[in-house]
Amino acid sequence: MVAIVAAIAVLMGVTYYLAALFPGPAHVPQIIVLMLVFVMVTATLLTIAERKWSAMIQDRVGPNRARIGLPLLRDRSFGGVPHVAADALKMLFKEDFVPRRANSFLFNLAPILAFGPVFALFAIVPVGPSVQLMDRQVSMVIANPDFGLLYLLAIASLAVYGTSLAGWSSNNKLALLGGVRASSQMISYEVALGLSVVGIMIAFTTVQAPAIVDSQAHYLWQLSRNFDFGLPAWGIFLQPTGFLLFFAAAFAETKRTPFDLPEGDSEIIGYFVEYSGMKFGMFMISEFVEVVVLSAVTTLIFFGGYHLPFGEQWLARQPPIAAYPWMLGIILSTVFWIKVIILCWFQLAIRWTFPRFRYDQIQVLGWKMLLPIGLLNIFVTGALVLWDPSLRALALVGLLEIAVVAALTARRRPEEGAPGDRSLEAAAQHSSAHPLPGATRT
Amino acid sequence: MAYDASRNPRQDVRERMFVPELLRGLAVTTRHFLRNLFGQRDRNASVLNRKGTSLVTTVEYPEERVPYPPGYRGLHRLVPREDGKPRCVACYMCATVCPAQCIYIEAGEYEPADASAESRVIEKFPTTFVIDELRCIVCGLCVEACPKDAIRMDTSKHAPSEYTRQGFVYDIPKLLNGPAVSHPSDPWKRRESSNAPEHQQIEPHARIGDH
Repeated sequence: MVAIVAAIAVLMGVTYYLAALFPGPAHVPQIIVLMLVFVMVTATLLTIAERKWSAMIQDRVGPNRARIGLPLLRDRSFGGVPHVAADALKMLFKEDFVPRRANSFLFNLAPILAFGPVFALFAIVPVGPSVQLMDRQVSMVIANPDFGLLYLLAIASLAVYGTSLAGWSSNNKLALLGGVRASSQMISYEVALGLSVVGIMIAFTTVQAPAIVDSQAHYLWQLSRNFDFGLPAWGIFLQPTGFLLFFAAAFAETKRTPFDLPEGDSEIIGYFVEYSGMKFGMFMISEFVEVVVLSAVTTLIFFGGYHLPFGEQWLARQPPIAAYPWMLGIILSTVFWIKVIILCWFQLAIRWTFPRFRYDQIQVLGWKMLLPIGLLNIFVTGALVLWDPSLRALALVGLLEIAVVAALTARRRPEEGAPGDRSLEAAAQHSSAHPLPGATRT
Repeated sequence: MAYDASRNPRQDVRERMFVPELLRGLAVTTRHFLRNLFGQRDRNASVLNRKGTSLVTTVEYPEERVPYPPGYRGLHRLVPREDGKPRCVACYMCATVCPAQCIYIEAGEYEPADASAESRVIEKFPTTFVIDELRCIVCGLCVEACPKDAIRMDTSKHAPSEYTRQGFVYDIPKLLNGPAVSHPSDPWKRRESSNAPEHQQIEPHARIGDH
C-alpha cells in the first residue's frame, strides 16, 4: 500500500521533471506519461483487479496460478498480477478472425473508434497543480480548452460509434442487436449526463476543468485559522443529486454491469461477438480505460480534483514544501491518483453488487427518473445559487440530502430488528383477519 | 431476514428512493471485500473448523488437501514385510474375487534346493502382480478377500496421472509401497528356527513414501 503510493509519487515527480525538461504547447511529456503510463497501466491492472476484487467480494481466492518461472519467484503469486501478461500474450497470439461477409474496413475501424475517444477524454483532466520547476511553469493537464466539460460530453458520445459500428459491420444479428442497444442506451443517458453536470457549472460558474478544481479548494465553513479544516466546497457536498445522476449516467456510458445491455452475456453475446484476439482486447481494455477516466472525471468534478480535503494550505506553509513548491505538486498529484483508485474500486464494487437491468428498466431509469430529477436539480441549484452566491445554502441542501439518504440507509427495518422474526409470527396470527398482512402493516 | 413476499416493495420509502437500498447492498459486498482483504486467512484443510476472519473457504487443491476419512479407498498398494518383500503369497483370492478382473498374478515357488529351503515357511510368492487401475472399480473386494493382509487401499491417493494407458497397469514395483505390516500370526515369526525367505528382493518403486 505504502509502496504503491510511493511509486505513484515518484512517477508524478518524474512527470513534473520531464514536463519541465520538454516544455511546449504540445504537452508531449504529459500525454506520454499521464495517458500512456498512468491511465494505461491503471486500466491494465484493473483487468486483474476486477478478477481479484470480485473474488474477494464473493469469498473466493481469485486467479493466482500464473507464475513467473524464475527460481525465487516461482512460488509466489504476486496477487495474480502475472495473469495480466498471460492474458496480453494470449490475445496477441490468437487468430485475428474476420467473418467472411463482414465489412472488413469498418470491422477493423471499430475497435480503434471505441478506444480512441475514451483515451481522448482524459486530455482535460488536471492531474496536479501547475508549479514552478526549473524556471518553467509546469502544468499537469494535457489541454485546457475554453469549453472544458463540454469537450467531455462531446467526446464521450463519440465512443458509441465504435460500439455500434462493431455491431453493424460484423454481419451477425446478435452483434447488431448489441450495437443497436448500445446506441439507444447512449442516447438515453447522454441527456442525463449532460443535465447532471449543469448544476456544477452553475455553482462554479465555469466549464473549464482547472477552474472547477480550483473552485473546490476553498472552504465553505472553516473551523480553525491555523490548520485549515472544514467543509470544502466539493461537488459531492454541493451537488449530491448531481453526483448520483452523473455517476449513474456515466456508468451507463461505460457499459458495465448494471447497464451492460450492449454486451448482455446471457442473451446476446454482445456487439463484439465476432471479435477475437487483440481487437477484442481493445474493446475490453477500452472498457477499463473508461472506468479509469470516469473515476478521474468524477474526482475532478465532485471530489475536489487533486485537492486535499483538509490541511492543504497548512501543508503548503511547511518549511521544505514552502521552499520547493514542486513537492506540494507531487503530493497533490498523488492524492489525485489515490482518489481515482478508490473510485475505481467503487465502480468495481458496484459492478459486482448489482444485478443487471432489463432493457425497459434501463430506458425507464434514463428517461423517467434521471432526466426529471436532473431538470429539477438544475432549477433548485439555480435558485439556491441566485439566493446565496456564497454556495452555503446549496451546501446546506446538499448535506440535507446526504443526511436523509444516510438516515434511511442506516435505519433498520422494523421486521429485521425483531429477533426470531416476531413480525412474521404476528403476521401469521393475524393472517385470518387480514388476507394481505404485509399490505396492511406498512 | 426472511423476505416477506406479501409485502409490497413499492410501499417502502427506501425502495422507492432506490438509493438507500443500493447503498445497503454495497455495504454487504464491501463488508465481504474488507474481511477477505484484511482478514486472517485460515488455511486449515478441514473447512468447517476454520477460525480466520476471512470468509474464503477455498482449499487450494494441489498444495492443500482435505484429509480423507479413514475408510477411504484410494489407490492399491501391496503391503511389504519388514524385509521389503511383499506379504502376498500368490493365492489368487483377490484375482478371483475381483469383479472387474483387473488383477493378474503369476505365482512363483521357492526352489526346494534353495539355501533357504530349510526355513520354507512361505512356499509361494508372486513373480508378477499386475493391477490395471483403469479397469479397477475401486470396490475394495480384493482387500476383503486377501487372507494375508497383503493388499490394501489405504494410500489415500486417487486419480493417478499417467501419460499412457500402459502406465496405469501397475506392477509390483509400483504397487509395493507404504509402511510394512506384520502380524504375530505371520509364519516366520511363529517358528523359532525360521528366517525370512530369501527370494529375490524387489526394490520398492521410487514413489514409496512420497505421500
